[in-house]
Amino acid sequence: MKRTIINVLVVLFALWFFQTGVKPEMEAADEFQINAFAHLPVKYEGRKKPIDTLARNLLTVLSGKQTVRNDTGERIDAVTWLLESISGTTNAANYKVIRIENLDVLTNLGLEERKRFRYSYLEILPSLGKLDAASRAAFAKDSRDRDTYDRQVVKLANKLYSFQNVLGSFEDPSSVPGEQLMATAQRYMQLENYSIPLIIPPNAGNDRWRPLMSSLLSAHPAMSSVAHEHDISVDPLAIHMGVMLAAYREGNVDVFNQQLMEYGAQLQTANPEVFEKVSFEVFYNRFSAFMKAAQIYLLVFVLSCFGWLFRKEGLLSAARILMIIAFIPQTFALIARVFLSGYPPVTNLYSSAIFIGWAAVALGIIIELGFRKKAGGIGNLVGGIAGFTTLLIAHFLAGDGDTMEQMRAVLDTRFWLATHVITVTLGYMATFVAGTIGVLYIIAGLFTHRLDEETEDGMFRMMYGTTCFALLLSFVGTVLGGLWADDSWGRFWGWDPKENGALLIVIWNAIMLHAKYGMMVKHRGFAVMAVFGNVVTAWSWFGVNQLSVGLHSYGFTDSASFWLVMFCLSQTAFCAIGLIPSNRWKSGATQ
Amino acid sequence: MNKLFDFLQSLKFTVLLLVLSMVLVFAGTLAQVDKGIWNVMDQYFRCYIALIDLPVFFPRDLNIPAIQIPFPGGFLLGWLLTFNLIAVHSQTFKVLATGGRRVAGIVVFALGVLVVVGVMFGWGTSSVAATEDDAFWRVFLRLGRGTLAAIALYAACVLLYRQRAGMVLLHGGILFLLIGEFFTALFAVEATMTIKEGETVNYLDRSQQLELSFTETSNPDFDTVTVIPQRLLKDGAEIDADALPFIVKVHHYMENSTRPQPLQSVPDQFKANYPQYEGFGSRLYIGESREVSGATGQRNAQAVDVELLERQTGKSLGRYILSLWMYPNFVNRSWEMPTNFTVDGKAYEAYFRFRREYAKAPSGNPYSIKLVDFVHEKYEGTQTPKDFASRILLVNEGDGVERELRIWMNNPLRYARRTFYQSGYLPDDGGTVLQVVRNDTWMIPYLSCMIVFVGMAAQFIQSFTRYLRRDV
Repeated sequence: MKRTIINVLVVLFALWFFQTGVKPEMEAADEFQINAFAHLPVKYEGRKKPIDTLARNLLTVLSGKQTVRNDTGERIDAVTWLLESISGTTNAANYKVIRIENLDVLTNLGLEERKRFRYSYLEILPSLGKLDAASRAAFAKDSRDRDTYDRQVVKLANKLYSFQNVLGSFEDPSSVPGEQLMATAQRYMQLENYSIPLIIPPNAGNDRWRPLMSSLLSAHPAMSSVAHEHDISVDPLAIHMGVMLAAYREGNVDVFNQQLMEYGAQLQTANPEVFEKVSFEVFYNRFSAFMKAAQIYLLVFVLSCFGWLFRKEGLLSAARILMIIAFIPQTFALIARVFLSGYPPVTNLYSSAIFIGWAAVALGIIIELGFRKKAGGIGNLVGGIAGFTTLLIAHFLAGDGDTMEQMRAVLDTRFWLATHVITVTLGYMATFVAGTIGVLYIIAGLFTHRLDEETEDGMFRMMYGTTCFALLLSFVGTVLGGLWADDSWGRFWGWDPKENGALLIVIWNAIMLHAKYGMMVKHRGFAVMAVFGNVVTAWSWFGVNQLSVGLHSYGFTDSASFWLVMFCLSQTAFCAIGLIPSNRWKSGATQ
Repeated sequence: MNKLFDFLQSLKFTVLLLVLSMVLVFAGTLAQVDKGIWNVMDQYFRCYIALIDLPVFFPRDLNIPAIQIPFPGGFLLGWLLTFNLIAVHSQTFKVLATGGRRVAGIVVFALGVLVVVGVMFGWGTSSVAATEDDAFWRVFLRLGRGTLAAIALYAACVLLYRQRAGMVLLHGGILFLLIGEFFTALFAVEATMTIKEGETVNYLDRSQQLELSFTETSNPDFDTVTVIPQRLLKDGAEIDADALPFIVKVHHYMENSTRPQPLQSVPDQFKANYPQYEGFGSRLYIGESREVSGATGQRNAQAVDVELLERQTGKSLGRYILSLWMYPNFVNRSWEMPTNFTVDGKAYEAYFRFRREYAKAPSGNPYSIKLVDFVHEKYEGTQTPKDFASRILLVNEGDGVERELRIWMNNPLRYARRTFYQSGYLPDDGGTVLQVVRNDTWMIPYLSCMIVFVGMAAQFIQSFTRYLRRDV
């Protein structure tokens, strides 16, 4: 009875936790209808998305967060910040949104080091020329010769350029004097060669997405004669958008809201399809299931640790329920990504982290539900820690921009993404799960009395089973990758770094099984080998990208290298302490 | 001695070999930071003794001395693994069946082998195969054929080895994969074809080999081409070809060379030792350069510094630098830079180029490919490529083939035992670059993938059910 009440409370808590922040605050009729603005569609980086997503991604790229604080410390959401920036309010350039961590870069730009490392556009403005020169110099070097400073400078400059391009695409040319019109037009044409937000959807007047500034240019008074001659019609949507932004700049709520209504209504009649999926994506953004699930999984892990160590079945069962509940929104969000992007779940490093975590939690749940007696909470522990860490990794990887980017031509084959990538990623997952159990085995055996004979045997069997599974998946996945290469460019195996990384995982799993069959290791040795499997897998997952070679390099960050090295060192340390003679183990002599 | 022999056919040796392979693969991956992928392949994987460069394991700014450590190479490890595998299996996995079962097993096995051979040589597929369908169906069909073979072989293994069937089958599959890759390493040929829109091309560029070509153009009806293969171009070599009225002396062979740039724009310290060249070398600077990094899509631009000598007197007829940078197909037809000179009143045009192979069908008849149209789509508002496609006209008059076909991303054309892949494009989308591969064992990975999968899955399912039955 008591347990039922606790479980009901746990469920209620989880439900409450997941619904927070989904519903936006109500806006009064005399306030800016920011929420409606956030729902407008825009095409950026090749994908149609709501302005909400554009704002969040842009802000994440610049500052690493999805909100920003103004001078009074009040939290401003991404859409409001973007609206202020593109409409050009006087305050817009004061937001401290540009994150610069590298001290050499800061010194070179004449900026003081400060807490949180975030600077406003206005502060950087005086040294933009210097930054530009430094980044050009760095870019001219061979990629192998660039040092940390060079890479940071290039990265910062690229961020600022893309930010400037976004701002430029929302420029209002109506105040440009007539004689500068030609130059402005030329500038706009150049800008259109870059990746910029295309805010005006296809409608009766034109058949493709257009950026605001070019659409407004044809509405310029001095252009009217030319426009008439060349039959360039002024896009009414562009006018509404232009007026809307101007109204926001001047703080005119009524005009803004009225223009927004007009814009939405006209777009609805002209091209209703552009609103497809847009509202859903805003909901997906606000739901932010991954971040919330990560926090729940951490709780699951902590609860399970206590429950497992002290054999408290109540704690374990509460943790199990929490894990299952968090798994549902996580699964939903995973499917939502597939629906929104139109691609199978794994397309880049970010989504591979999400997917590995999801599959590890699923495996944890299967272990718990299918083999509850033998597992005794191991499934909780694995699911909790794997779910938490992978989602945390994903959170840091999201700083590169849109996580649902369009695929380059060579990778654009949904079939291969759905087979090879999924299989190989599941292989990574299984190796990590075996390794996690290995770490738990070593810690529990060395520092606690928890690892009795039965637990020890159960954990070994789980590791062994998962390793078999890992070998099967990583072998088939790797060969499928080769078949993709054979099918796309006629080379089954090219010793490309990413291929080699996957091969190393296959070989390592094969070594583990052969060592076991050949009686070279027993349970403890197998656990130590499983932990080393973590190192091998982490290296192929992230390490090969750090080599910055190969056709597969789709992720690169400096701090990633640091954490990768840290992770590998920590796992090697676990291996080392796992080799401490078993008479020193608290749990006594193990096999 | 017996102990050693026992060790060689033990699982301990298997593990040792696998560990050595891991080290080799790891080193070969790290080496790609400094070296091109083809050089790494030759130095680490496609050899019997690999020479591992010590610095690859350390950050490059530590300046570790460039010591080369001899290590068992890919071929050696492959062979040892093969022998070890066979030894271990013949020891542990004996044929368990007798009598009729044994005969049945052998018959089914023969049948399975027949299916494998049939699938490998594409029985029942057409000779010109443009793949207009989705990758999905194409690959599923191939894997389906592989599954057919795998199931036949699995049945044979069940008859012969009973509950160890899965183990035997999966290791057989691995062996098959290793053998297939060994043959690929030895015999597969990669080439490219660069075609401008509207142009007809009848030759392939064998991009892994180079040649120095001299084309004598004085006869209005035909050209006489003399080529010197790359292997003869050693520093200091003097090449005396009867067909040429001069001797070619090789001063220096460069693995990679710099992009040509005007001589006056080059800093003085580079010019100091720059030889007095004739031709382009007199106006442009082309120097030796560090090898490009791994599979970044870039490749080395080899170059030779040669001097032409009069055969009788040994008098110099001029020193030339010839680089791949001058070969139009290397620079995607951005420019043409033929080195022209006249000896004995005969006009010559020289190139240092990819080895040229004239396109020929298995029947011996030549064929050609005309690029009718090239399409390059990008995602709206970005520079990210979405799709490339070449519409081509394949003509082989001797065999009566004249077909218009489409080659695009992930949808190659198979013809004349070669496969033509969409690989690149010329500036301003003015033409296409096709990757042309000949690999007669290309079906082996499809087959062995399914063989190993079936074997492994059967084995694991078997142990898993045993585990459940015993303990629940």
